[in-house]
Amino acid sequence: MRKIPGIGTYAIAFLIILVLIFLLPRMMPGDPLTAICGEEVLVEMTPELRTELLHRFALDEPLWSQFFVYLTGIMHGDFGYSYYYNAPVLDIILEALPWTLLLVGSSLLLSTVLSIVIGIESGWRRGKICDKSLLTTTMILNGFPNFFIGIILLLFFAVYLGCLPLQGAKTPYSGLAGIDSMLDIARHLVLPLIALTLAQIPGSYLLMRNTMITTLKEPFVRTAKAKGLSEVAVRYKHAGRNAMLPIVTTTGVRVGIIVTGALFIEIIFSYPGVGLLTYNSLFMRDYPILQGVFFIVAVFVILANFVVDLLYTKIDPRIGDDNTEYAH
Amino acid sequence: MLELRELEVSYGKRKVLHGINLNLKRGESLAIVGGSGGGKTTLGLSIMGLVEGTIRGEILLDGKNLVAVPEKALRKIRWNQIAMVFQNVENALNPVYTVLDQVSEPIVAHNLRDRYDAKRRAEELMKMVNLPEGRFLAYPHQLSGGEKQRVLIAMALANDPDLIIMDEPTTALDALTKVEIINLIRNMCNERELTILLLTHDLYAASMLSDRMAVLYAGRILESGFTPALLSNPRHPYTRGLIRCYPNMTTTKDLQGIKGMMDFLDTGCPFHPRCTQSIGICREKAPKLEENDGRFIACHRGGIIPLLEVREVSKTFDSVKAIDSIDLTLYEGETLALVGESGSGKTTTAKTVIGLFEATEGQMYLEGERILGRDKNFYQSVQMIFQNPMEALSHRLSVQEAVREPLDIQKQGNREQRESMVRHILEEVELPSTQSFMNKYPHQLSQGEAQRVGIARALILNPKLLIADEPTSALDASTQAKVVKLLLNLQEKRGIGMLFITHNLALARKISDRLAVMLKGNIVEEGPSNELISSPLHPYTKDLLKAAPTLSANVLVVPTNNKNDGQGCPYANRCSKATEVCFKEKPKLRSCSSHRVACMNLKPEKEE
Repeated sequence: MRKIPGIGTYAIAFLIILVLIFLLPRMMPGDPLTAICGEEVLVEMTPELRTELLHRFALDEPLWSQFFVYLTGIMHGDFGYSYYYNAPVLDIILEALPWTLLLVGSSLLLSTVLSIVIGIESGWRRGKICDKSLLTTTMILNGFPNFFIGIILLLFFAVYLGCLPLQGAKTPYSGLAGIDSMLDIARHLVLPLIALTLAQIPGSYLLMRNTMITTLKEPFVRTAKAKGLSEVAVRYKHAGRNAMLPIVTTTGVRVGIIVTGALFIEIIFSYPGVGLLTYNSLFMRDYPILQGVFFIVAVFVILANFVVDLLYTKIDPRIGDDNTEYAH
Repeated sequence: MLELRELEVSYGKRKVLHGINLNLKRGESLAIVGGSGGGKTTLGLSIMGLVEGTIRGEILLDGKNLVAVPEKALRKIRWNQIAMVFQNVENALNPVYTVLDQVSEPIVAHNLRDRYDAKRRAEELMKMVNLPEGRFLAYPHQLSGGEKQRVLIAMALANDPDLIIMDEPTTALDALTKVEIINLIRNMCNERELTILLLTHDLYAASMLSDRMAVLYAGRILESGFTPALLSNPRHPYTRGLIRCYPNMTTTKDLQGIKGMMDFLDTGCPFHPRCTQSIGICREKAPKLEENDGRFIACHRGGIIPLLEVREVSKTFDSVKAIDSIDLTLYEGETLALVGESGSGKTTTAKTVIGLFEATEGQMYLEGERILGRDKNFYQSVQMIFQNPMEALSHRLSVQEAVREPLDIQKQGNREQRESMVRHILEEVELPSTQSFMNKYPHQLSQGEAQRVGIARALILNPKLLIADEPTSALDASTQAKVVKLLLNLQEKRGIGMLFITHNLALARKISDRLAVMLKGNIVEEGPSNELISSPLHPYTKDLLKAAPTLSANVLVVPTNNKNDGQGCPYANRCSKATEVCFKEKPKLRSCSSHRVACMNLKPEKEE
């Protein structure tokens, strides 16, 4: 039986990420200053500026004291300064973050719900035509990388049919407000959301179908049938409810995968989220932004895992229960 | 109320149930017993309509054929009319809901009450099955095995069904919890007039909870009848095997198994590969369940056959009556122990049966046929082992020659075959089959080895009846234990009927199914070993029991007067309860509970 990791585990994971992000630019070949500030700085580098910057990042001090300065910076929300955007890193990331949260969050929700439902139905009808065609479709889908799905969707709906917008998260300078603005955002969200979600479904669907099939063999399913419950109650309330557990467990892991997936999707649809920001920063060698993005993404993935674990105790009463009569 | 007619269930090509016919009246309790994998659960599930395979035949519930009822209508019958107490395996209850939710669920699902009332009703039921009140909102994993079993029972009662199918309701419970659950079920049955179909391999639960019993083996019913009668007097070899291997405080004989493994056969009696009395037809045709003397038995041989019947046999030497009109029946695969003091006529009886003495009066039957002459065929099925192995083996024959001799006499096989048979039988009696051992002569053997050689010699012809005259009294205790175990194992494997003659009651009770107590040529008491030991009726048996060895030091007072008095009860002059009539008239052997006793002071239940 699964045990819930304590808050300490998360603290340790968080600390390791902090150290990695701190060490990465300092271990890269070349001038750590370049790594920390970005190559843009070199253009206007004067000896005075260099000394000042060295001092500011405490690069003239021993490693542990550099780490301390880095930590206090993060505590104050100081992730550095982007010379390319000419703005603090945090401001730039915070501007992109909501779009990614919207895309990743809705995709996570949609793909989870969808794969649970089709997994339950497919597992229930194991071996029937409905199950076989679902299985085949998802297997084919599984073969395509998400950016490929994205491109196909883009070409068909936005270019060929022209019924959905080509790029962006909203129509620029449209001056829309209220409901209209929300509808506009939703219209822009449709294609990237579908592309990202479709790529997520096969894995979760297969897991769900599998656990559904094993759960259907459990004695309590027979008990439920014997009680004369309706088929829907047996399928969802008894079998489905139990078969859902592994999907919920893997949600934390899937958050990381979806965020990576979002990177490609955002590039294809020019969706102004963290993914696109990362892509652009890579091109511009804007290291401060990249470090900030790594940090924020890592924090979100850890946070998501934590929330899932909290949720899990609510869904499965056997987890973290001290009243257990038997050791399972 | 419930009637099964020619019910057949098969999974794919594998038939799991064959032509089951059962009848269950309202308020009655029927137990289906049998080893695991015999089809008990399939039978229960097919009545619920939950079996995955194909069903043929009829399941009639109050005259309505459930096999023909569509799934949707069946759902209304489930739990409202037929409920099931499932085997308390891991996850018989849904792990993610509280037990209160699960007990009240069928009430709500069938629209009997609203959610609130259903919960109150569920609470009442859980109180009734003695689930501690603080446990109502617990999840299944928080409950002990006994508590889960109580929840499963409460759940089955939720919709007030007419019929409850209980699948192993007591298995996996500890002894005290088991008794509690059994009492709980008994009380419920009394209060609510429930009809119960109990599926179990636990004979104790079956004996406590059922009126009638049916024995299911590899998808067929082999025997059925009233529970007490079936348990005290099993008539099918499988039923007897089940009882023999069920550890309990009643049986005195050592545990014995059933040879082989269960297999689902398409042709013939399903039990024939494991049965020790199977004949040609058993392999070809499955027997029908037929009524025979108040019992239903499916056996081509009509159940366990009487192997040896001794009817009113007397033997007189000059004017001395060594045995006086005795009656004995020995069944196939059973041990009948003949106990009594020296000179009581035990050995004379044995020698009369095997033909060393000619009976003065009376008849004997072997497998139902009267024994007239004793030819080679007779000695092929009846063999004897003797008290003193050293004297019983000719000291001019080597082990090999002694064991082979019966084969030579019967002219079985050629020399090579005979020798391989000798080696085989020596291994079977746990002796070395090396040439050096086979060349030994009796004086080179130990007592135990010599007796094993004697047993090997007796068994090489594969006899059905083995007469053992004090086979272990010349052996020391540890050798005796080994020989006795060997005999029991051979009985389990070959189904030998054994007439075991001994003066040692303590030994007799370990090896015998039935005991007959002899005194001065008469059988004074006879019955199942366990009952004879636990409640002896005849004063002589009681005295014998007192004198039987125990390991606690008790001073005994045993009457010793041994004056022979031709008339009257043979025990009269030693009996503390003897009255005048005892000296004058000889009591007849009469049925009394499950024994037969010859005593004037006992009020018989019925004359025989």
